[in-house]
Amino acid sequence: MARYGMVIDLKRCYGCYSCVMACKLANHTPPGVLWSRVLRGEMGVYPNSVRQALPVLCNQCEEPDCMKVCPTGATYQTDDKIVRIDKNKCIGCKYCMMACPYGARYSVREWKSYFPDGLPLSEYEEYSKQAWEAKSGVGVSTKCDFCIDRRAEGKEVACVQSCPAKARVFGDLDDPESEISYLIKTKRGFVLRPEMGTEPKVYYLPPR
Amino acid sequence: MESAKLDGQVQVEWRWLIAAYLFLAGVGGGAYLAGVIADLAGGPGWMLVSKIGVFLGMPCVLLGTMFLLADLGQPINAWRVWIKPKTSWIARGTIIIVIFMIFAAIHTAWWIWPFPGPLADNESARHIIGAIGAVFAFLTVVYTGLLLGYNQPIALWNTALLPVLFSVSAVSTGIMAIMLIGQGLGVEETKLALLANIDAFVLVFELFVLIVFLYNAYRTVESRFSAKRILTGAVAPYLWLCVILCGLVIPFFLELWGGHGFAAALAALLGLFGGLCLRYAILAGGTIGAIKAAGFEFARIDRPKDPMPAMGKVPPI
Repeated sequence: MARYGMVIDLKRCYGCYSCVMACKLANHTPPGVLWSRVLRGEMGVYPNSVRQALPVLCNQCEEPDCMKVCPTGATYQTDDKIVRIDKNKCIGCKYCMMACPYGARYSVREWKSYFPDGLPLSEYEEYSKQAWEAKSGVGVSTKCDFCIDRRAEGKEVACVQSCPAKARVFGDLDDPESEISYLIKTKRGFVLRPEMGTEPKVYYLPPR
Repeated sequence: MESAKLDGQVQVEWRWLIAAYLFLAGVGGGAYLAGVIADLAGGPGWMLVSKIGVFLGMPCVLLGTMFLLADLGQPINAWRVWIKPKTSWIARGTIIIVIFMIFAAIHTAWWIWPFPGPLADNESARHIIGAIGAVFAFLTVVYTGLLLGYNQPIALWNTALLPVLFSVSAVSTGIMAIMLIGQGLGVEETKLALLANIDAFVLVFELFVLIVFLYNAYRTVESRFSAKRILTGAVAPYLWLCVILCGLVIPFFLELWGGHGFAAALAALLGLFGGLCLRYAILAGGTIGAIKAAGFEFARIDRPKDPMPAMGKVPPI
């Protein structure tokens, strides 16, 4: 089986938030839910300072802590090692949200519109609400699944496809010939929070 | 988005409902433990105190689990924790708590209410049930600390001191609950005064553990932001006013000098309130450290808003 992972080149990323918006469109995430998000960091003191954007998403860990703490087995790994949540088994205890070192998990009590004051839902919002409730559900934990449905339709992962800087590469880590394996090996790929021992599968290439 | 200084993401998922659950599990377990010890060590004179403690065990923990259920996103699925008992501390804890509630219920039903049955005459059987129940009461109390402590990313909780802190607090709040009910049921003043004196010592020990816990949190890089949040930040009023002043210092002096009557009841009420606020302060102080990569520190600025952000630290969304 494939073992899917992602490489994000920090030298190329300029923090445009395209991936955030693409993810929102593809997965119909309600307000406050950001499966794909961009963090900002700063080093040094002005005027001698450098800023850096860091796009993060679920790291689809090999040894996921979120799966270890799940009391019902709702969190599971697919054959290609993607961590998913069975919304029918999740009780919404939010223990996994505490255990995730990357803060990748979100839970909403109810679906909310982006627009205030309880205006009637537009046709698109209605569709979006149904899509969210059918796939992810309310009251349960939700998170990125590397666009499993889009890939089943033969499309690219949304954040990868939308990246204007081509900073993101998606591929099979087990395939030594794949672009992502090559990049990790030759460009000093690293992962976030390796000390947590969760063996994340989203790699980053250094900004310099 | 000038938030590089905001190191640490405050956990907002577990708040008052979970604090109430941890608190009530502590009170129930602690009261039951104290009741059983009073029965084992105190002899016939301590019967009423012991009965109050044993009686408090089950209802308190049951009420606590109601708070836990109220916090669940999908309580309809809650039965599923029984299917996979080996998976997590929530599953294990549920089993521990249910076994404790069963033993406490048997202990109560056969000894105190609705009918003073088999255990009233058979002292050794009562002691055996009490001892088994006490083991599970102790596990219930310790588990509340282990539950939080298993989370690696929240360094404030990920320490062996948390179960100790919670157990000491559970014993002190348990004794206080017995004192409070004992006032109403007319336990002799000398016994209440002795309970109050014992509790005063437990309170001193609790303060010591709390200081060690916070010192340890402050000296650990990963949890320093959490410690600052509790000591001087947004959670500080809960720590200094509710936990230390109302929950530890005032009850200590009231118990040491008053020991009975109105002073003891007030001490117990304040102490119980302090126990609840201790759980809340620890929960609200929990933060996930900033991600460090390639020499940068990345703050989590785009997660849900902290319901009580410190002044000048409101994360922009």
